[in-house]
Amino acid sequence: MRLEEGWVPVALSSSIEAGTSAGAVVAGSEIVVWRDTGGTAHVWEDRCPHRGMRLSFGFVRGDHIACLYHGWQYDAAGQCRYIPAHPNLDVPQTIKVPLYRVAERYGIVWATASAQALLPDVGAQTDIAPVRSVTIDCPAAAVRAELGLEGPISVITLDGDRLLAAVQTVAPARSCLHLVLLDAAPGPVARQKHHARWAQALRFRLETASEVA
Amino acid sequence: MAQPTLYQYELDEASYRVRLLLSMLRCDYETVAVDMFPGQEHVKPAMLALNPQGTLPVLTQDGLVLHGTAAILMYLARAYDPAGRFLPEAPAVFGPVVTWLGFSETALAPALQARLAAMFAAPGDADALRARARAAFRTMDDHMTMRHFDGQDWFCGDGATLADIALFPAFALSRDYGIDHDAFPALRRWIRRVRALDGFITMPGIPDYH
Ligand code: FES
Repeated sequence: MRLEEGWVPVALSSSIEAGTSAGAVVAGSEIVVWRDTGGTAHVWEDRCPHRGMRLSFGFVRGDHIACLYHGWQYDAAGQCRYIPAHPNLDVPQTIKVPLYRVAERYGIVWATASAQALLPDVGAQTDIAPVRSVTIDCPAAAVRAELGLEGPISVITLDGDRLLAAVQTVAPARSCLHLVLLDAAPGPVARQKHHARWAQALRFRLETASEVA
Repeated sequence: MAQPTLYQYELDEASYRVRLLLSMLRCDYETVAVDMFPGQEHVKPAMLALNPQGTLPVLTQDGLVLHGTAAILMYLARAYDPAGRFLPEAPAVFGPVVTWLGFSETALAPALQARLAAMFAAPGDADALRARARAAFRTMDDHMTMRHFDGQDWFCGDGATLADIALFPAFALSRDYGIDHDAFPALRRWIRRVRALDGFITMPGIPDYH
């Protein structure tokens, strides 16, 4: 699924610490997922309007993100606010990074370019614990087929636990599975590790299968 | 003990591993710049007389001549870190640390080569090297994912060790040869911890956040 088509899972919330940024790719579109020091997550096009540097290579300063290349700073609305080479310049309104809508639900950061799309809903869930995001070199459809998922997100039952599986299309032959544990008991470390290992084995299985095919 | 002398090339990842440790140990040292690219000085007679392997870095001190990055790191830890913070004595930590040091010399060798191929047109099949480097980063990311569940920030034990120092540069520099950090969330978290260590220094290709 492309960002224009609906809400796409782009990271586990726990993987994007406050004051940090990360690059991601959704069906070929490069995005930056970043969290300001106040804790709010942002998803933008990963391209600095100045010379096209990936903003995910940059760094977060409060509620601004600064480009690594020449230090241009953008505020939470994507508006350029500061150009170090011209510190006294009133930066033109036109210098702006395209933003995506962003939401956090079920311990996952979601993004979309669609104004209408409804956020995926698998009911109220409590005691969510992150497992991991695992990148797999195979089409998203193959991941969904292997897990028996209808859409990009589904609740699955695995070795006695309920988990939420959300699949992101990275490229035609690359996907990312985001996995969180639901109804986690206090101190869920053993179960988190168990399912993280399961995800590793799944990656192996799917990649081996797609090599044979 | 006289100050050690490091024969090194500024843009070489392996040389940086040693500079990073020396900086964290607050150890004063002399450097001799060896023009690896384009000069190829590391494989010319003057350097071969010192290290017939033709590898960088080389460390000399009081008549000793050491080569092999992991060996140099271990030597420096013994010489300048008597408390054993970077190379702990306890077998349960020492074992994993030297295992990852071995990994840094073997599994990460394609990552070093991929970077030299990309930046200096050194020989090598760029795609094959990148694929092997990516496989090594996966192994590291899987490991750090597990460590994180236990609340651990470092590859071994409960503090930064030689393992973290030897493994950090290849991943931090991976964009030089076309591997993004996207697919390695546990390593992204880990390199931020490494960057925050006392005595951390950068090299060209590893940005200084200002
Ligand atoms: S490319 Fe971003 S500031 Fe120049």
